[in-house]
Amino acid sequence: MASNFSGALQLTDLNDFITPSQECVKPVKIDRKPGKVAKIRIEDDGSYMEVAESGEEKKLQKAQITLNDCLACSGCITSAESVLITQQSQEELYNVLQENLRLQQASEVDKKKLVVVSISPQSRASLATKYQLSPQEAHHKLTGFFKKLGVHHVFDTSFSRNFSLLESCREFVRRYYESETNKTALPMLASSCPGWICYAEKTHGSYILPYISSTKSPQQIMGSLVKDYFAAKQGQTPDLIYHVTVMPCYDKKLEASRQDFYSDLYRTRDVDCVITTGEVEKMLEKENVTLGQVEGNTAYCVLSGFGSPDGGLGSHLGGGSGGYLEHVMRYAVSQIHGSSVDSLQYKTLRNQDFQEVTVEIEGKRPLKMALAYGFRNIQNIVQKIKRGKMTYDFVEIMACPSGCANGGGQIRPMEGQTNNELLQRVKESYDSVPCVQPDLWPGVKDIYEEWLGGVDTEKARAMLHTQYHGVEKVASALNIQW
Amino acid sequence: MAKLQELMKLSGHQDRVWCVAWNPTGTLLASCGGDKIIRIWGKEGDKWVCKSILAEGHQRTIRSVGWSPCGNYLASASFDATTNIWSRKEGEFECIASLEGHENEVKAVSWAPTGLLLATCSRDKSVWIWEVTEDEEYECASVISSHTQDVKYAVWHPTREMLASCSYDNTIKLFKEEIDDWTCCNTLESHTSTVWKISFDQTGHRIVSCSDDKTLKIWQEYLPGNPEGIDTIGKESAWKCVCTLSGYHNRVIYDVDWSHSNGLIVSACGDECIRVFREEEISDKNQPSFSLVCTQNRAHSQDVNSVAWNPKEPGLLASGSDDGDVKLWEVVLD
Repeated sequence: MASNFSGALQLTDLNDFITPSQECVKPVKIDRKPGKVAKIRIEDDGSYMEVAESGEEKKLQKAQITLNDCLACSGCITSAESVLITQQSQEELYNVLQENLRLQQASEVDKKKLVVVSISPQSRASLATKYQLSPQEAHHKLTGFFKKLGVHHVFDTSFSRNFSLLESCREFVRRYYESETNKTALPMLASSCPGWICYAEKTHGSYILPYISSTKSPQQIMGSLVKDYFAAKQGQTPDLIYHVTVMPCYDKKLEASRQDFYSDLYRTRDVDCVITTGEVEKMLEKENVTLGQVEGNTAYCVLSGFGSPDGGLGSHLGGGSGGYLEHVMRYAVSQIHGSSVDSLQYKTLRNQDFQEVTVEIEGKRPLKMALAYGFRNIQNIVQKIKRGKMTYDFVEIMACPSGCANGGGQIRPMEGQTNNELLQRVKESYDSVPCVQPDLWPGVKDIYEEWLGGVDTEKARAMLHTQYHGVEKVASALNIQW
Repeated sequence: MAKLQELMKLSGHQDRVWCVAWNPTGTLLASCGGDKIIRIWGKEGDKWVCKSILAEGHQRTIRSVGWSPCGNYLASASFDATTNIWSRKEGEFECIASLEGHENEVKAVSWAPTGLLLATCSRDKSVWIWEVTEDEEYECASVISSHTQDVKYAVWHPTREMLASCSYDNTIKLFKEEIDDWTCCNTLESHTSTVWKISFDQTGHRIVSCSDDKTLKIWQEYLPGNPEGIDTIGKESAWKCVCTLSGYHNRVIYDVDWSHSNGLIVSACGDECIRVFREEEISDKNQPSFSLVCTQNRAHSQDVNSVAWNPKEPGLLASGSDDGDVKLWEVVLD
């Protein structure tokens, strides 16, 4: 099976041709029951029957591996994909919608789930390009499409990205001042790419994790917004909301499955299911429509990512990966140096995916930041930190070459089209949305106050920040190979 | 009859020898293996002796060593997932850098002819290209995930900026730098099992490969617009297998080296033999014939892992084996 994960993740794998059943090292807990030893018979369908001496037969349970077992393990990773496919796919969304329909007919309306879909701006740009629509049209038509399937609300993760950007900026300034006494405060490394996070946790553990920003990604902040803020507004408990995100990247499925984003109290995840842009394309194919044919829906909601009160879409400066460097640099220049810059000059270094920005204000320490996309550039950043030769204050790291617009879950080029040509068009579509400063977006300031009780409160920390966990390598006899 | 004459046995390694490599002037031979030690051998009078021992550089087996084109640097690839760079100054070696990044065993390391690029390959299925910066830093320029299995070996084209690698996935792949990154421009398929090693001839228009399928294969390059009418795509050459040498080797062939001075091909085999092949004098470029010049039976008492022609003295050959010995040979042609 070809892997859809980013290159960084694929590298952490040892043997992806071995399925979990063959290589998985997870110990399975067996509840031993007292009594005599029974025989086990294998049925034609592959199931196992326990046959007691009395002749009584009992079907034995299969050992189950969840994605979380996979993430917490140092063994294979791409095997996790087959686990993912069953737990996070458009099929799961269809199942929930069908179950809702059944409950409606059975008059058990109180058990119905409120279904929310949050679309990423990169996915929207990919779909808009494929179906030759403007981002705004694509947004309305996607809203219409999902609502027709029975989804109740369609949101946009550009909205939650405001929080991610604002928190990243504040975190940077805090760490900048801490760096005098704390050696791991700088460089701060961006945290919104799950491929990079998973690679760092599995491969570089304790010496690289302290540098990673604790700010949650836009997907996971949307998770908190939906399951905490929005749920309360709707008078629902979080487990009665089914939250789906549409993402440009398979690695986002891993992120949503992290234990850190699971509520033990309500037994629910902040994001229940992640489907990729390509999987939305498959849903459209299944419904036998093109996006252009779908009737648009212009319903307005503050979480829908409108950058202006008149219902126009909004985006952020700094490119298709979210603009972390752009925002952190501008904020740092204003907060630390009390100055401002009109535009940032990106200098391409070794390749297009490695660029740096330096801002020098007379008489002050220059601020130096970089974009490092793709595995090869990540390597050089990681090794420089390890050898104490890092000169950047902040690095916007993304696992995919060209960043998120080029994520592995995006729609593939048509026949005769190169990936590069398609990518250029997706970027143009993405960039055609007007940029708005995060703190000026309608609703952002209000929600900080209403939901979090302001900036830097305990609630803000709980809702907008997370933590990382190094994975200890376990030497398993099964891993050793010549 | 032509034969291989054993000149010397160089003993010292405490475990199997994985690789032998001559420096560009042919005055020094480096060997490495399971004892995690690199030995540098040089001539004193008419004898070859161990001049230096490079120890404590690696935690696990050293799988291969390679000299820079200037001869002042030696790179060593190890199962400990690192590649070390050793600098030679006034006869003394010092480890100046350790390249980390591969997920597990590094299988081979090779310098580009310019000396500015280095390639490594690993069981993690990737090929990495490293760039040597002005201040002698080694930075990762590319991570190529093109092979689907363990990559056994990677080597640069003798004149062009092109890299070739071979793998447990039975293929040979060629890589070039495209707009912004290195990409695979050719996949050579014909071997039916692991391709252990490849070697370019002097012109760079031919490759010889050796495999677990007990054959050697000769691959010919056809440039775009070639008179033979072989199809090419865009600006890329086509590479075709024009000769398969089967029936000579009894077990897996671990190494092959194509001499750039006299055109002889030498192979190292798991049947403990070293064999030398030569292209027939009357040989069609598109269907060449190669004949066995000689077989050295029991060249070593165990698997022969590595063979290398001396770059300056035609006919001088070094070999390394699981038996822990390095041997020097002279080809005596009839």
